[in-house]
Amino acid sequence: MKKEEREQVDILQGTLDMLILRTLVFGPKHGHSIAHSIEHDSGAVLKVDHGSLYPALQRLERRGWVTADWGTSENNRRAKYYRLTPLGRKQLVAETTKWERIVEAITRIMQPASEES
Amino acid sequence: MTGPLRELNYLVARLLNRRRAAQELDEEMRAHIEMEVEENIAAGMNAEEARFAALRKFGSVALSQERSRHVWGFRWLETFWQDLRFGLRMLLKSPAFTIVAILTLALGIGANTAIFSIVYSVLLRPLNFSDPDRLVYVWDSNPSIGYPRFSSSAPNYLDWRAQSQSFEQLSAVASWSYNLTGEGTPERVGAVRASASLFPMLGVNAQLGRTFLEEEDRPGGDRVVLLSHGFWQRRYGQDRGIIGRTLELNGESYTVVGVLPASFQLLPDRLPYAEIWTPAALTENMFVRGNHLLKVVGRLRPGVTLSAAQSELSSVAKRLEAQYPDSNRGWNVVLEPLQEVVVADSRPMLMVLLAAVGFVLLIGCSNIASLMMTRAVSRAREIAIRSALGATRLRLIRQFLTESVLLALIGGALGVVLSYWGIELLIKLQAGSLPRTDEIAIDSRMLLFSLVISIITGILFGLVPALQSSKVALLESLKEAGRKGTSGPGRGRLRNAMVITEMALALVLLIGAGLMIRSFLQLQKVSLGFNPDNLIAMRLTLPTEKESKYYQKSARALFYSELLKRLEALPGVESAGMVSTLPLAGDSVSEFFVEGQPLPDPNQGYNANYRNCNGRYFNTMHIPVMKGRIFSDQDITNSQLVVIVNETFARQFWPNEDAIGKRISFNGNEGPWRTIVGVVGDVKHMSLDQEAGLELYTPYTQTNGHDINIVLRTAGDPAGITAGARRALMELDSTLPIYRIRTMQEIVANSLASRRFNMALLSFFAASALLLAAVGIYGLIYYTVKERTHEIGIRIALGAQQLDILKLVMKQGTKLALYGIAIGLAASMALTRLMASLLYQVSATDLTTFTVISLILALVAMAASYIPARRATKVDPIVALRYE
Repeated sequence: MKKEEREQVDILQGTLDMLILRTLVFGPKHGHSIAHSIEHDSGAVLKVDHGSLYPALQRLERRGWVTADWGTSENNRRAKYYRLTPLGRKQLVAETTKWERIVEAITRIMQPASEES
Repeated sequence: MTGPLRELNYLVARLLNRRRAAQELDEEMRAHIEMEVEENIAAGMNAEEARFAALRKFGSVALSQERSRHVWGFRWLETFWQDLRFGLRMLLKSPAFTIVAILTLALGIGANTAIFSIVYSVLLRPLNFSDPDRLVYVWDSNPSIGYPRFSSSAPNYLDWRAQSQSFEQLSAVASWSYNLTGEGTPERVGAVRASASLFPMLGVNAQLGRTFLEEEDRPGGDRVVLLSHGFWQRRYGQDRGIIGRTLELNGESYTVVGVLPASFQLLPDRLPYAEIWTPAALTENMFVRGNHLLKVVGRLRPGVTLSAAQSELSSVAKRLEAQYPDSNRGWNVVLEPLQEVVVADSRPMLMVLLAAVGFVLLIGCSNIASLMMTRAVSRAREIAIRSALGATRLRLIRQFLTESVLLALIGGALGVVLSYWGIELLIKLQAGSLPRTDEIAIDSRMLLFSLVISIITGILFGLVPALQSSKVALLESLKEAGRKGTSGPGRGRLRNAMVITEMALALVLLIGAGLMIRSFLQLQKVSLGFNPDNLIAMRLTLPTEKESKYYQKSARALFYSELLKRLEALPGVESAGMVSTLPLAGDSVSEFFVEGQPLPDPNQGYNANYRNCNGRYFNTMHIPVMKGRIFSDQDITNSQLVVIVNETFARQFWPNEDAIGKRISFNGNEGPWRTIVGVVGDVKHMSLDQEAGLELYTPYTQTNGHDINIVLRTAGDPAGITAGARRALMELDSTLPIYRIRTMQEIVANSLASRRFNMALLSFFAASALLLAAVGIYGLIYYTVKERTHEIGIRIALGAQQLDILKLVMKQGTKLALYGIAIGLAASMALTRLMASLLYQVSATDLTTFTVISLILALVAMAASYIPARRATKVDPIVALRYE
């Protein structure tokens, strides 16, 4: 089998927060499915230590961007579900805008040749 | 909920439910891992692989938990709690160290708290009146005759009141006394005459009844009296029905209108006998402008500064000078904040004592720091392991500091308890040398001070060991043979520096104490001018109102001679004399003029200390008669006016002639002239540390005295005479009380009381410092010997004698001591001049004291080094060589 190169990208803390918020847009999820969403939706490019989600989730909860409740998972297991709050929704929009601006700026620097020609 | 509030809510909720939150997080993470495991199994892995993969994907569970808890925000609290419990355990594990440290800290912090309480209550706390910083004391001032601060005269006071705008109120008080007769034993009561405006001005209300009314403050309406709390308690048992009753004072009826509060105290060392208060009732005619007997206190008008008031009153004084040149020439006015007047005398000594306890605490801290460094050596292993497990240097330092601050807080708490007793003891010992002792107490401010000092002390002695110990030479410490890795050259130097500092601090304190002891000894050697042994004094006042049988001068003279005859006849009494003011009792100053030696200003006279007495007084006191004679029966009311002067007086005015036969007058150059009939030796009239000045004596028969002190010289113990003397007086007149009965030795001792107290206290602290410093050196040498046991063993094996080893070890201690002494001497040179005002005839850089103290310290240091050094000589080389 051909070995696919996987890029392990170091994800900054703030970016992780943003990604988590994004995955919660379509409804509450528990920690495990958040982790899977990020990995899955990124096309398996982004690999995250599942453990590092939990401090991030605590942070989000502390800021009031998510709330958490205990519920039952698909497998009848007790799990804590995280849900986006209106404040969190607003934060997501702000973060997204910021992110897009950063990406645009970096792109501009990285492709000066095409500018000049 | 708004942002920060919501966040706070979150944090508080988490804090209160720490355990549940931790459990939930745990559960959550476990569930997460289980779910991953299930998925992995579903994807085809076996159970073991599934779990392995899931765990690896999760990462470090512990790390995740810790970082989550970090978000919860009370990590600092948890680590602090952890540090605290660990620190406590470590302290309990080495009980010897802990006990020594706690005791040292308790004594050091306790002493500091006690002294600081005294300093605060006496010097810093505002006086117990309303708005006390607006209160000022008004002095009459005439520096040219040697009285830059003096009492005021009544006419001056009234003029200041009339002619100045700067004061909201001015009040006057004067020391007085009355014979209390009528019901109960007759008693001489010390009193204060005060303006009616005084109490409202100070903001003081009577605890029972009322204070004076304005209309009572004038002659005729002034037969009212206020009782002090102490007097009310002593004489009337706090009888609440006292208001409205009458007392017979000097034969007249006074109505009690009020009782003053227990806490009330005005100028305690200037008005020492304030048992009852009567209205001042002044008028200009009653008092002579040149008679300064009032103390004046005022309240500044709001917005008026002290300097503005000062300039205004100075100009008023100038006007009075021009108006009344005879009495007011050279007299100015000086204003001083009332608190200054009360506390200024105590300030130098209290500051010295505060510095002294500070030094003692520093030396104690240094010792504890050394002990901690030694202790840290045995914990090197533990530190290394913790460091290897991930503890940062900061974390380790925090741990150590928590331990030392904990130690300091425990010591400090014990110290506060000790300081309660300490303060009680000090108040008892100071015997009146400090003002405001009623106000000394340990209140919340002192406790706060104690707390802060404890924390600072803990950090102070804990920081250096913490820094040293956390510096981990990882590999070395983990080795079994960790003996060398304990004190590298750096640590040794540091410990040496600490011991040297201790020596220097101790030396400064010892020199300070030494100088004070020397001053005290000098004072004791001072010639009083009389013989204070077997001498007892008592006071008697004859009422001189018109109705009294003692109104006539001749009646008084008769009474005195009869009384003295009876007293001398008592068994055990060698001689009896009388005088208007006792030695060491203060100034009684009078102006005089010398015939043929006028001052440049003919209206200005000289000033001298002045006493009325009888001839027998000189015999009784053993005051030597240098020339001429003393008063005798030929000096009666209508014979030639005579006077006796002291040696200094004779030498000043007639250096090459005989003073006998020369004349002086009290009332200007017109006379009446008094002839000098005798010259006696100098007597210390003011206090032991003041030079005898010019002294004049006039016979009782030729002056208007009614306030006398009787002095009796006894063959044996003077106190045994008291009953007999009382009886003799009773036989003559049962209504006259004798009071203030004291032996002369008591009076002399009393005048030295303040100095003695200060000297004793400073010596105590200096001795403590010496002890601590000695312990410091002992500890260092002991430890060094232990370290060098191996080396010493080799030396002995190679043939070194006991003496050689002794010299080797003691060299270190002696060297440190010498450095310390050198630094201490330099510091003393600079610092002792600050206490120059407390010394008597001893220079602040007195060579003898410096030398002797240095020698003492050196000897003590050597002795402290000798003991462990001897141990070194007993080392068995075989054992030592095996000792790794």
